Amino acid sequence: MRACYRCLLWLHPPVFRREYAGEMLWIFDQSAESQGAATLFIDGIGSLARQWLLRSGWWKIALALSLAMLQIVFGGFATMIFGHRHFVEPAQDPSIVNVAEFAHGGSIGHQPLTVGIVMYLAVFITGGLTVMVIGLTLWMKSFAVRRRSALRKAS
Amino acid sequence: MTEDYTPFLPLSPAALHILLSLAGEDRHGYGIMQEVARQSEGQYKLGPGTLYDNLQKLMTQGLVEASPKPPAHDDPRRRYFRLTSFGRGVLSAEVARLESVIREARVHLRAPRRAT
Repeated sequence: MRACYRCLLWLHPPVFRREYAGEMLWIFDQSAESQGAATLFIDGIGSLARQWLLRSGWWKIALALSLAMLQIVFGGFATMIFGHRHFVEPAQDPSIVNVAEFAHGGSIGHQPLTVGIVMYLAVFITGGLTVMVIGLTLWMKSFAVRRRSALRKAS
Repeated sequence: MTEDYTPFLPLSPAALHILLSLAGEDRHGYGIMQEVARQSEGQYKLGPGTLYDNLQKLMTQGLVEASPKPPAHDDPRRRYFRLTSFGRGVLSAEVARLESVIREARVHLRAPRRAT
């Protein structure tokens, strides 16, 4: 169990690991019998999640990914529900995608999936993700600046 | 000038217990865990992960700082922590807030129930 706990500590962000991992392992040795090794291990998992998701800012990327997935799911539902009303005749050559029609409400529901469509979706998703990550980072930066000035005023 | 502690309130249970344990004297991590268990009569037990995660946050906020050097009789590898004067102020503000909550709760629990 000690080796598992050591691995868990190793998975923490480097800054935290350098500062506290040694003492945490020492406390694990001291209190594993009284508190139970499993309890300490679960506590370590909680700390690992908090360190990566809350303290290191990875939550921004996780949130952006979730929002992008939500966007794709809603986009898919919208296409399923409203797509058939704006059906556009497929192009003569199925490898040719009329991007202009697609962008103006045309449906891809009855068109074969071509390389063009896949590329279009890839660009759309990557663009959406980038915009969300940049937006969230800027928003968090402004939040941090406001918080810092509030703290400075308080102290 | 009176300081405004409201951005830090309310404190999380872990942060409150850590600050309380450091209010009396400087302690190392394991000492904080033992003091928290003693103060809560064993009802609240901090694990090392929760402890150091919260200590890191409290140090970033300036409520706790590393003590310059451990007492002579203790292991020099152990790091000691202490409450800053700002941290003491935040702790006092939190205790005052909790007192008003308890006062309010007592008034409401004593008052007879009115039919709606």
